[in-house]
Amino acid sequence: MFPALRFLLSSLRLVPAVVVLAAGVFSVSPRMAAQEPPYFVAYSHHLEEPGNLEIELNSVYATQRGGHDFLAPWAEFEYGAKGWWTTELYLDAQSTFGDSTLFTGFRWENRFRPLLREHWINPLLYVEFEDITGADKTMKEVVGFDGQADHAEPNAVARREHQHEVETKLILSSDFRGWNLSENFIGEKNLGHAPWEFGYAVGASRPLRLAATPQRCHFCRENFVAGAEFYGGLGTSWNFTATGTSHYAAPILAWQLPNGATFTISPGFGLNGNSHRFLLRWRVSYEIGGFGKKIRSLFR
Amino acid sequence: MRGWRISVLLLLVSLVAGADTPRHWKHDDRGVLIVIARAPVKLRTWKNPYEGQADAIRTGEKLYRQHCAECHGDDARGRGRAANLRMPGVQNATPGELLWFLRNGNLAAGMPSWSGLPLGRRWQIVAYLKTLRGQFLLQ
Repeated sequence: MFPALRFLLSSLRLVPAVVVLAAGVFSVSPRMAAQEPPYFVAYSHHLEEPGNLEIELNSVYATQRGGHDFLAPWAEFEYGAKGWWTTELYLDAQSTFGDSTLFTGFRWENRFRPLLREHWINPLLYVEFEDITGADKTMKEVVGFDGQADHAEPNAVARREHQHEVETKLILSSDFRGWNLSENFIGEKNLGHAPWEFGYAVGASRPLRLAATPQRCHFCRENFVAGAEFYGGLGTSWNFTATGTSHYAAPILAWQLPNGATFTISPGFGLNGNSHRFLLRWRVSYEIGGFGKKIRSLFR
Repeated sequence: MRGWRISVLLLLVSLVAGADTPRHWKHDDRGVLIVIARAPVKLRTWKNPYEGQADAIRTGEKLYRQHCAECHGDDARGRGRAANLRMPGVQNATPGELLWFLRNGNLAAGMPSWSGLPLGRRWQIVAYLKTLRGQFLLQ
């Protein structure tokens, strides 16, 4: 069957869950609204507000040359521990059409702001520990010589490889006249025996309308943020290069509802033969204000 | 499995570590909270382009409820260590100082930076905050 049709049919199974989720999202009272740019791969210097928990359900669909297309969902739990520190837990999974569905591991991420005030360029330090299998296909970053061929292996083979990795990022980000510009330099090290792998991600985004309107509206332009991101690998510490790896360009559109829920979609396009031809990422997120306060009150 | 347990434990520790103690609010000689008065002097004279505009004030109130009320309360009278925004230490600040403070926050004390909000929206919030002047002791 044509891959896109198969993907559509498999997505139909999710319709009841999406309807229930959408009903919940539209019915809750207005509260927290996030201010983070809508990127999937790039990071900006905007952290989670202290005490807030943002729950995100993400997914990426990718076409695969010489193999089966796949869908790789992941859940994110992002918590603002301090004004200068955000911590995040990821649970990854994937479903390869014509193969199997499996949980592929977890990641624990921390982002720190070393400078406590806003500057033209704001640095952010990022440290992540990953405990995932070789079957992970979420493509939260592209590093080293990552390419679409890595995802062509059958799950039964790929899952045997266990990766314990530390990933670091230097994030530079600026806000100017409503635009956010973010540049990320990525370094990833397998704790076993492998060289450092490098990658990059850059993103730009802007709300469709800068000033807000007094009405509480769902479809007005102030609730939409448009942008684009570019990301790819940069080889390893033994061979630092932009060739032989994969690169992507991806426009993004986010729709922020007044009650704190955000829907984001991003079609991605491979820029060379090592890349997946097409990716489709989407996300539903919801921010719970004062989560930390509620948890702490349970222990008093 | 060990990695899992360590991660969950560290996550819980970070949740509890989010607890902070209340701070004493200090003022400068104009009666402005020190954390706001740190704004560069040149910003004190900035005028709010939305000052006194009814639509902007209503918009500012909407934005306040979306972004600020969780900590400062629906009535802006503060909660715990989040400041009462009607108090003189806030209301004596100029619109430019409040705009600067919204942009930078006070990250060490738990007030986030709102630089991700476009400039126009931050001015709209300032326009609303300024309408709370003189209501410090009123219930």
